[in-house]
Amino acid sequence: MEIIDQDFEKILPIEEEPKQKILPKKIIFLGGLLLLFLLILILISLNLKQKHSFSDVFPTPTPTPTPTLIEEITNPSFYATDSAILKIEEELKKIEQELDSTDLKESSLNLPVLDWEVKF
Amino acid sequence: MTKKIFLFLFLIFIFPFYTFAQEFNFNRAFSDYLYNLNLYRQAYQEYIPARESYLRYKTLNSKTTALEKTLKMVQLRDETMRTYLIAIKMKMAEISGISPSEQGLFNLKLDNEANWYLAHKEELSSAGTLEDLIDLAHKAEERYYQETEVLMYQALHKILLGKETTLKEKIISQIEAIRERLKEIKANGDKDVFLPERWLLETENRLLRFEEKIFSSKEAINRIGEPTLKDKAQIYKEAQLNLEEAHQYLKEANRYLKEVIREVKTADGNY
Repeated sequence: MEIIDQDFEKILPIEEEPKQKILPKKIIFLGGLLLLFLLILILISLNLKQKHSFSDVFPTPTPTPTPTLIEEITNPSFYATDSAILKIEEELKKIEQELDSTDLKESSLNLPVLDWEVKF
Repeated sequence: MTKKIFLFLFLIFIFPFYTFAQEFNFNRAFSDYLYNLNLYRQAYQEYIPARESYLRYKTLNSKTTALEKTLKMVQLRDETMRTYLIAIKMKMAEISGISPSEQGLFNLKLDNEANWYLAHKEELSSAGTLEDLIDLAHKAEERYYQETEVLMYQALHKILLGKETTLKEKIISQIEAIRERLKEIKANGDKDVFLPERWLLETENRLLRFEEKIFSSKEAINRIGEPTLKDKAQIYKEAQLNLEEAHQYLKEANRYLKEVIREVKTADGNY
């Protein structure tokens, strides 16, 4: 086993950098970063708050399950992979989702309940 | 370096406010309405005891407090109505199934109504006595029951109708696309299209039933403007129910189309 010979006495002392010049730059940079971080946090929290308040306002209707044909096509025709047919099929799926999620009550837009009779 | 950092931070800080200030959409209008509705409710909670106190003690002090609290409440009532009408207007703008001419007509009516409440709110400030204020407040009551309520129900119905129209148009465009493809398949002669063609007719029958329900719904909402009618909410519910029934026909039509596609994808004699 080779022993590394080290002469600790010859290690030169680390030269101290002029701290006074670097310190303000570092502080400004770190301060800037901290401010940026805080601003991002504030913006994110504001955004989340806004989203949350809207989600309170608009209750998203849960899609009602509809019976779907789950059986596989065992003997496909020549048109089973036809691009036009597949495109229509995809569109129909999208329409189905829209039909299920359409809110036909818009209860959040119900007329405001206000007292119109000012009587003394 | 420091200047650049500050400029960067300034831009980050300013940009969201700039974009928020520019955008006035339904969500913004709706939050304005909810905010005012909340303020109205608070003012109403203050108005009730002030009114009771005046009716019980009939002192000058209680009358002044009643005037103050009533003024605040009726002004916020006007503001709530104004912001609600604007929210409906913004909602209508988001619905593609409403024709531009109908959109324009409703915009005009809703703006006119919102402006009336704004002017009325300002007029309320001129009331010097409680009696004057009550007279002015009755003007809003009359306006609401004679004009605004009907307009609001009609606008809400138009929003729902617009949604249904959009969906119907999407289904019709798919029927046309299928029909075109079936013609080509028929010309190719490699698949029997008799069944899918017949099912397309069945789908169109569902759309006819849809139209019948839409017609009933429109008839109901047209009755809402009759001056003798008292329960407008009931008529609106009836019209809404017709739309829900119409919606079921759209669902059926879409399901039928899916079956048509399935038939096309299946080899002859194997369905």
